[in-house]
Amino acid sequence: MALPDRLRIAPVRIVHILLAHEIRGLLASKALWAMLLALAPLVGYGFVQAVALFAEASRSAIEFPELARGMTPLDGVLVPTLGAFYLAVTLLFPFVAIRAVGQDKQSGAAKLVEQFPVGAVTLLVVKMLAVGAAWCLASVPAISAIGIWALIGGHLYTPELFNLLLGHALYAFAITGIAFFAAAIADSVSTAAIVALAFTLGFWVLDFAAGSVQSSWLQALSQMSLTAALRQFEHGLFSLPHALEAASIGATLIAAAGVWLPGGRTPPRKIGLTVGLATLLAALLAAAGQAGVYRDVSEDRRNSFTPADEAALAHMDKELSITVYLSPDDSRYKDMEANVLGKLRRQVPKLAIRFGEAGRVGLYGSSGDDRYGLVVYEYAGKREQSRSSAPREILPILHGLAGVESAPAEMPVYPGYPLVADAGAWGSWFYLGLPILILLFWWRCRRPARTNFNQEEI
Amino acid sequence: MTDRTTLLTVRRLAKRYGDAEVLAEVDFDLRPGEILGIIGPNGAGKTTLMECLAGLLPADSGEVRVRGEPLPPARRREAMFYLPDGIAPWSDQAVWRVTGLFRKLHGFDPAREAVVVGRLELSPVLGKRVAELSKGYRRRLLLALALLTPQPILILDEPFDGFDLRQTLHVMDLLREVARERALILSIHQLKDAERICDRLLLLNAGRRLGFGTLADLAAQAGAAHADLEEVFLGLT
Repeated sequence: MALPDRLRIAPVRIVHILLAHEIRGLLASKALWAMLLALAPLVGYGFVQAVALFAEASRSAIEFPELARGMTPLDGVLVPTLGAFYLAVTLLFPFVAIRAVGQDKQSGAAKLVEQFPVGAVTLLVVKMLAVGAAWCLASVPAISAIGIWALIGGHLYTPELFNLLLGHALYAFAITGIAFFAAAIADSVSTAAIVALAFTLGFWVLDFAAGSVQSSWLQALSQMSLTAALRQFEHGLFSLPHALEAASIGATLIAAAGVWLPGGRTPPRKIGLTVGLATLLAALLAAAGQAGVYRDVSEDRRNSFTPADEAALAHMDKELSITVYLSPDDSRYKDMEANVLGKLRRQVPKLAIRFGEAGRVGLYGSSGDDRYGLVVYEYAGKREQSRSSAPREILPILHGLAGVESAPAEMPVYPGYPLVADAGAWGSWFYLGLPILILLFWWRCRRPARTNFNQEEI
Repeated sequence: MTDRTTLLTVRRLAKRYGDAEVLAEVDFDLRPGEILGIIGPNGAGKTTLMECLAGLLPADSGEVRVRGEPLPPARRREAMFYLPDGIAPWSDQAVWRVTGLFRKLHGFDPAREAVVVGRLELSPVLGKRVAELSKGYRRRLLLALALLTPQPILILDEPFDGFDLRQTLHVMDLLREVARERALILSIHQLKDAERICDRLLLLNAGRRLGFGTLADLAAQAGAAHADLEEVFLGLT
């Protein structure tokens, strides 16, 4: 049993060997296949229903161009179809990602892995790549739904579609970071799952609270939630701040998992490094918020004012203060946020939006406060107010406050893409075909494997 | 003192869990080609000592030198490989996948893997998943993994656990062969096994070193010159 000469293994080769090992481990796990089996009918149902509703709305829209302009496949089909995928990534994907780290801890393999000729960071990057491969596999039902949409004559706008997929990929990356960190700090896989779900469901609670409570800091905090980040991409907006935010959360939490996984560190050292990483994350999030790069990739340019308006707003070099006397859950505020405030945040260099103190409108009538519904605009010592939530009325007010003229410009009209189609027949693909294929692949992956060398030679 | 024939020197290695002292400034050394047995009652600190040594558990204090050079915990894997007891790694994967992983990672050629698999009689179960293995086969697989690593010091926690007498003797022969090239540190709770295979012994009790040396040294320390290890153990603990 003398030690023979060994080959020198290049680091890239080691990564390749470990990646193959991790992918095999994921393919052998029940969690991945159970998620895929749940995803196929979920995505399929979402897609078939979305196409049916889109077709219903398209019937009258086909005859009226004004109505047709509201028929966007992004809102009508793609986002609802990927909504089921989003649910699965939020609630089921953490179990797959946790397994990649937690299973090694639970089985004791982590003590062997720690002695591999690579660092903890490389090991985690390899695990992250393997989980990325699992995410690609999980996206097959959604990708096939998009293919079917194109096949039945549905319209796809490539920048919009890729931006949407990028948003989902970044969301999954951040969820992976959360899952890895949970698995690294928890003693068991089940505890890690609870920790990860507490994180992801916490984002929902944050969004809900921000939507119903008049609190500026809660509004600001909710802007950092992962669901809020994904929403930007679902609206056809490439937002660098949100992309950087999701990437920072994912990368920092993966690094934090790397701090907690090796057994050779003392708890005070682990806590110290984690505090350092938390500080770094706070700095990264603050920096991401200042990135200020946005691209409206929607085909209907819903996230943009006209170029002339945008140029005029970009020149407002003093602080524009907007006080809104509306409840955050008032539909007028939601309209205003989507049509005006969100765009202003991206265009006006110095903008402060706050909620004014006013009684809320009750379920059956007014609160009696006359200011409710009012929006006050202040700029360079001048003040204007309005009750409108429409850009065509608000923009002239802002230009007036800034003392600039904005010449109206002709913009190409978005035609809309109504489609009366039936995707019901494709239901069998999602409810039967895909599940059978998934089961076949599962069976293939769990089949006893052949040895890699001739046993007779031993 | 570290002389030229010493491969590993451990000085004042200590570890506490809160108020409980698990290792109390343990000293020992290891020579090239030597088989050192760590013995002691349950809870003596054997596994803690090995995990601190391998850098998998942070020690509170102490120094570890390899060939006279201090080796910090983060670099211990360069010199030693530790095989824990009671683990069931990668249970969903086929046995040959797991041995292949270690062989590839450490740059050995397939012939080396075939020899290790052959010597440990793993051939009949190569295609099975690790979860399907009996305790004995699982133990053999873990030993195979240890033999597919290149470090000059091999630390094995209870390497004979799960083997019957014939298998134990077979594995002892194999480990003696391994010791021609690599030094071994074995934690053994069966004193007969320890007496059969170890060149020197480190006797621990409640984290303290009660004795260190050959069986004759320990017997002399116990005041029973011709005693066997069981008698020495009872005399010193």
